[in-house]
Amino acid sequence: MLSAFDANWSLMTPEIVLAVLAMIIFTIDFMTGIHGKKPFLGRLSIIALLVTAVLVIFVNPQGGTIGHIFILDPFSMIFKVILLVAVAIVIAISMYYVEKNEDIYQGEYYSIMLFATLGAMLMVSSADLITLFIGLEIVSISSYVLAGFKKHRKKSTEAAIKYVILGGAASAFILYGMSFLYGLTGTTSLYEIGAAIPGVYEQYPFMIMLSLLFMVVGFGFKISVAPFHMWAPDVYEGSPTSVTSFLTVVSKLAAFALVMRVLFIGFGGIIEEWAFIIAVIAALTMILGNLIALAQKNVKRLMAYSGIAQAGYLLVPIAAAFNINVSASTIAFYGVAYVLMVLGAFAVITFVTEESGNEDIASFSGLYKRSPYLALAMGVFLVSLAGLPATAGFIGKFYIFVGAVSGDMLWLAIIMIAMSIVSFYYYFGIIRQMFMREPKTSLDGQPAGTLKAPAGISTVVGVSLAGTIILGFFPGILINFFNSFNWMFMFF
Amino acid sequence: MIPNILSWLVFLPLAGALLILAIPKENKNVIRSLAAVTVLAAVLLSILVWISFDRTVSGMQFQQLIPWIDLGFVQINYEIGVDGLSVPMLALSSIVTALAVFASFNIQERVKEFYIFILILLTGLFGVFVALDLFLFFLFFELTLIPMFFIIGIWGGKQKTFASFKYLIYTGISGAILIMSFIAIYFIGMQASGWTHSTFSIPALAEIYANPAAPEVLTSGIRGALFLALFIAFAIKIPVFPFHTWQPIAYAEAPTAATMILSGVLLKMGGYGLIRIGIGVFPDQVARFATLIAILGVINIIYGAVLALVQNDLKRLVAFASISHMGIVLLGIASFTAAGIQGAIFQLVSHGFITALLFFMVGALAERTNTRNISELGGLSKSVPVLAGFTLAAVMAAIGLPGLSGFVSELLTLIGVFGAPADILPAAAVFGVLAGLGIILTAAYLLWAVKRTTFGPMQEKYSTLKDARPIEYIPMVGLLGLSLLIGVYPTILTDVINVTVTDILSRIGG
Repeated sequence: MLSAFDANWSLMTPEIVLAVLAMIIFTIDFMTGIHGKKPFLGRLSIIALLVTAVLVIFVNPQGGTIGHIFILDPFSMIFKVILLVAVAIVIAISMYYVEKNEDIYQGEYYSIMLFATLGAMLMVSSADLITLFIGLEIVSISSYVLAGFKKHRKKSTEAAIKYVILGGAASAFILYGMSFLYGLTGTTSLYEIGAAIPGVYEQYPFMIMLSLLFMVVGFGFKISVAPFHMWAPDVYEGSPTSVTSFLTVVSKLAAFALVMRVLFIGFGGIIEEWAFIIAVIAALTMILGNLIALAQKNVKRLMAYSGIAQAGYLLVPIAAAFNINVSASTIAFYGVAYVLMVLGAFAVITFVTEESGNEDIASFSGLYKRSPYLALAMGVFLVSLAGLPATAGFIGKFYIFVGAVSGDMLWLAIIMIAMSIVSFYYYFGIIRQMFMREPKTSLDGQPAGTLKAPAGISTVVGVSLAGTIILGFFPGILINFFNSFNWMFMFF
Repeated sequence: MIPNILSWLVFLPLAGALLILAIPKENKNVIRSLAAVTVLAAVLLSILVWISFDRTVSGMQFQQLIPWIDLGFVQINYEIGVDGLSVPMLALSSIVTALAVFASFNIQERVKEFYIFILILLTGLFGVFVALDLFLFFLFFELTLIPMFFIIGIWGGKQKTFASFKYLIYTGISGAILIMSFIAIYFIGMQASGWTHSTFSIPALAEIYANPAAPEVLTSGIRGALFLALFIAFAIKIPVFPFHTWQPIAYAEAPTAATMILSGVLLKMGGYGLIRIGIGVFPDQVARFATLIAILGVINIIYGAVLALVQNDLKRLVAFASISHMGIVLLGIASFTAAGIQGAIFQLVSHGFITALLFFMVGALAERTNTRNISELGGLSKSVPVLAGFTLAAVMAAIGLPGLSGFVSELLTLIGVFGAPADILPAAAVFGVLAGLGIILTAAYLLWAVKRTTFGPMQEKYSTLKDARPIEYIPMVGLLGLSLLIGVYPTILTDVINVTVTDILSRIGG
């Protein structure tokens, strides 16, 4: 039995530092009074996140484990860095958003977001059902709070309530599924479960599948895949836009990492039994997400359905996994592309919808005239989301696609390509508004004037734009790096 | 010789586009001149490629190969090179685009974006014509989609939104089928090579499919399915009946310069792809489906001609004429003879010049008269004699008047069709006669249209029209001159094509 003193706590340095910094920010917040503008806390949060990312890379680069509870392997390190950078971008977007919305208590907002990040880091590092669930709940509960942050707006409150109730139910499903697993294998360690599964499955196939399905339902909710996606559009629409960007990117990617760990490690021995189930869910998600997105007029709802569709694409490498390392690289690469293009798009969306006070797609009309830079960047992000060339999204989709064909899931690959064509229509619908419509005249008859993006938004857009294009031309920088790892089996 | 000349050629327009991006949009003339300089440089480079191309050597020249993306289980290379098929296409792309740039100097709105899109388009076109890696081919193929969507959607006519989205979706579907067949060709090629080769390289795949180490993988069903998928993907682009419905509206709505590029070069990607990859990798399947291809070709010729006959909109008329003329390419390919394939390639180039000229003339007339309706036009030869004269000349070239390029390609193709081996194309004579009938129809609708627009009594409202501006002479003289040049002296083109045609035929025969 591992004693608390023997454990190599230094493995958790980044988590501990982030927790301390989050608490410092929390403390500064209540010492300076709950109201008022506190941009310095935003900057401090970004610094805290980047410092944590640096710690992840440089402290314990060789990795290690704390018992069978916490694991620091290439998989968790890479996903932590991706998530930390993503949250830093989200906070940069949020700094603009909270300036515009004075009913948001800024200090609370930033510290809760940092706590959520902490949860996400735990999720990707957990090798045990208990830590995994704790991480998941930290993220979920923080997200419920964040969704309701605009407390004077009915839609925001509605979003939070919906999210809490449905999210709670999903967590219950996960726990119930875990309880079966514990009962059958007698352990909570994922790697031990993984070792025991093939034998146990022969004896109790039905119970194992039941446990798996319960967990798939719960996790499916967290990553918003069909048919468990119903909450996403309402929650995404109601939440503050900067929180929406957090939910679409950070919560989703962390949950994806978790799903991979549970399925590949915990249920890795019976991959043939569940691959088809995941494939069907992926297909359903791609089809529903893309088709329903066609009808959306609200840009946040549209991004919600687009996010659902993208989650479907990301499930493909899990369903068609012929090699766990390849699946992990694929998802990590698409994850980076996803962070860049979706957060870049959300920076533009947050800015444009706030400036026009309207979340309709038409608020983008004539953006090329009002802000050529933002219009161009948004155009590139949308083209990348649609999977067209010279962008990271194109390479990412191709990577998923060849992987699916190699994994003998040709039909899934075909659905993916067909649905990509459908997605052209709604992504290019926004492009049409931006480039092929004149700016809308406002209520007083004045044509909408030029938009000057604040430095924070411009920077986020610039970084995402550069990343999206550079990865489109030189994806090798990341792919070669990712391919050099043994992602999940370094220590067990 | 410039080292890596093809890469310079491909990325030159992109560099020009980036330069223009940095110029403030108010400086319209600076932007125009920069675009003009870029395309002229591209013309010079492509002609340099043409001149230094060695006509005695078969196979690829100016090759460049750089490992690009290594997915671990799939290797993608930046592999480019040219043969006698691509060299004329490069020249065609640069020349038509350059003349389209000159033809679009009268565009006043959003000049900066317009030229950026045109130049990105040119990079995509060059890329398609030099790519020897299927992934690279696909990348450039899809790259051409985006700028053309914008050009139709922003600078187009009344129904521009509808036209641009129809173009987007159809081309998107074409791309989707293409990438699926490419991946299939890749994986099946890997199996067929006995797991020794995994490659996207077109020449390497041609070799694997010709001499597979594991022939049992390449059943006739698989080969047929792969070829048909490729054929459909390219058929949407060419366009072949019944996949053509996006084309007339896209042509009609696009601004003149874009229509010139769209019809003159962009759609040639379809014909080019069919020859490069279709015949290149699946010569046996072309033979197998020759009758089908020939039937579709003849349908294209006659269907396009009949619809052109009843059009009242001049631009739509030329659009349908274009469908009709693309049938000749299909027929040439189906004939499976040296003359036929030569004719098909010749037609790709010749039609590129002629149709660009026709669309330019229609645009120039419509700009002055504010209508494209034949019923409202008439007597233009008296008010704008120069424009009317060039229109007539363009029509003559399209009809296939001897001495102009259309004649050479039609003649070669018909010789090919009548000489087609009976085991590959039964009843070749029937196809030949039907194609001849289509050519007669072409004369009928084009001459009839010219009669109704330029001849007849001069209408009062058109009496004050201004004739051709000096700048308009550049595209008119340039395109007509080129059609005349390769019409009178076809050897200049055929001696480049011949090496490759011989090469293709040796693979077909051997």
